[in-house]
Amino acid sequence: MSAHVTSMRDALYEAPGPRTKRLTVIGTTISLALVAVGAALIVRQFYITGQLDAAYWSFFTKWNTWRYLLEGLVGTVRVALVAAVISLVLGVLLMFGRISSFPPLAVVSRIVIDFFRGVPSLLLIYFFFLVVPQYGLQLPSFWMITLPVSLAASGVLAEVFRAGVNAVPKGQTEAALSIGLTPTKTMLRIVLPQALRIVVPSLISQLVVVVKDTTVAYVVSYPDLMQNARVLITTHDSVVSVYLVVALIYILINFAINQLSIAMARRSGNPIISRETENPT
Amino acid sequence: MGFAEILERYGANYAKAVFETMSMTIVCFCFAMAIAILITVLRVSPIKPLRIVGDLYVQIFRNIPGVALLVVVAYALPNLKVVLPWKTCVEVTVVLLASAFGSENFMTGINAIGVGQIEAARSIGLTFGQTMRKIVIPQALRSAVLPMTNLLIATMLSTSLGSQVPLNPQELTGLVSYITTRSTGAGIVPFVISALCYAGTAVLMGVLGNLIDKKVRVIR
Repeated sequence: MSAHVTSMRDALYEAPGPRTKRLTVIGTTISLALVAVGAALIVRQFYITGQLDAAYWSFFTKWNTWRYLLEGLVGTVRVALVAAVISLVLGVLLMFGRISSFPPLAVVSRIVIDFFRGVPSLLLIYFFFLVVPQYGLQLPSFWMITLPVSLAASGVLAEVFRAGVNAVPKGQTEAALSIGLTPTKTMLRIVLPQALRIVVPSLISQLVVVVKDTTVAYVVSYPDLMQNARVLITTHDSVVSVYLVVALIYILINFAINQLSIAMARRSGNPIISRETENPT
Repeated sequence: MGFAEILERYGANYAKAVFETMSMTIVCFCFAMAIAILITVLRVSPIKPLRIVGDLYVQIFRNIPGVALLVVVAYALPNLKVVLPWKTCVEVTVVLLASAFGSENFMTGINAIGVGQIEAARSIGLTFGQTMRKIVIPQALRSAVLPMTNLLIATMLSTSLGSQVPLNPQELTGLVSYITTRSTGAGIVPFVISALCYAGTAVLMGVLGNLIDKKVRVIR
């Protein structure tokens, strides 16, 4: 995705002459000053509202605080990993349904995929939290968060897999059929293994969406990072510091996952297919 | 409860909720596009600090979970004497998230153009402004149609964050939780109505985006 960012960015400009160089230096100085003023204003706002007081930050030096947040993080990772596995399986199944030559199955799969891609994960969580119990099925809170997250991801993953299958050259299928493999064997032994390899970077980047979706676990009171942060807030009466630290943890985790997927994409030469780049219909 | 009963009792709420979701989606998407353009200009500018600010903005808001950002805007900012109405909190959150992805889409569009075209433009004597106006921006806009359609759909889905703060009137997701907690035995119907509103709109947006894309796509 951003593999060529710098080269293209820099290609926009000619090699600067003395006048441009001077202008760039002036621009850099002014913008640096503006950024510094902006940062100072933010710090000042923290200071005059008392949010820099030691009381709001000192508990972050205690191991107990971090242990509690880490426990929450373990909860987040558990939900994310289980949801990732379920959505991978569901995604492959839905993709097979979507490309099946049996029209009713293809139509149904397409409707299911479009449904899960077009519905917010929060609504799916309310479905498992508020609607399912009305029919006498009381799921543990772990599944009340994991199932909706899996379903939301499976629709997108099905389309990612489909793009992967489409990216395998047609000649592969033709060759496999012409040496006498059945269509099923061609799909399972020739096309699918190559398609899976193509979509690995995309699957990793999709993990970011799964991690983001797990943050609503507090709706079902499952102890994930966000839920434990809310408990910390009540015990220490400190909203700003805890929420900022937790937000930063999430950003760093997702940044790392994204960088990993970009690195994989660059190494393998396969593009990242995501919600943003795929065809919406 | 059946469809008829739910619609009879909550039909007016649903009408308001659909309007709420759709109007928030449109407002947020417009603001997000404006900010995305601004951020993209920063990111391709020749001034290093501006580039870093633009990159940082995108990395923060494309990696932060929507809920984590919403709680910061809605519950942390008031402690810093920045108090916004609930609806504005949701809109600010959605705009920040969507603008980061929007800027990524523009950057991908710009990167897809290829260095050779810029070099060709320069060698036939176009100035920087002309190159931008005649070569870069038209192509970047055209190849951004599909990603932006997806972003519009994602923006609509993000407005469901409104269910996490007290909104009045509620949007489509909050309404489901409102109805289900109020009338026992409402069953699956309130969920189905909201879900169909979302999914139907998403499919419609996708079809329209695809039509536009077919008209304007640059075939390379």
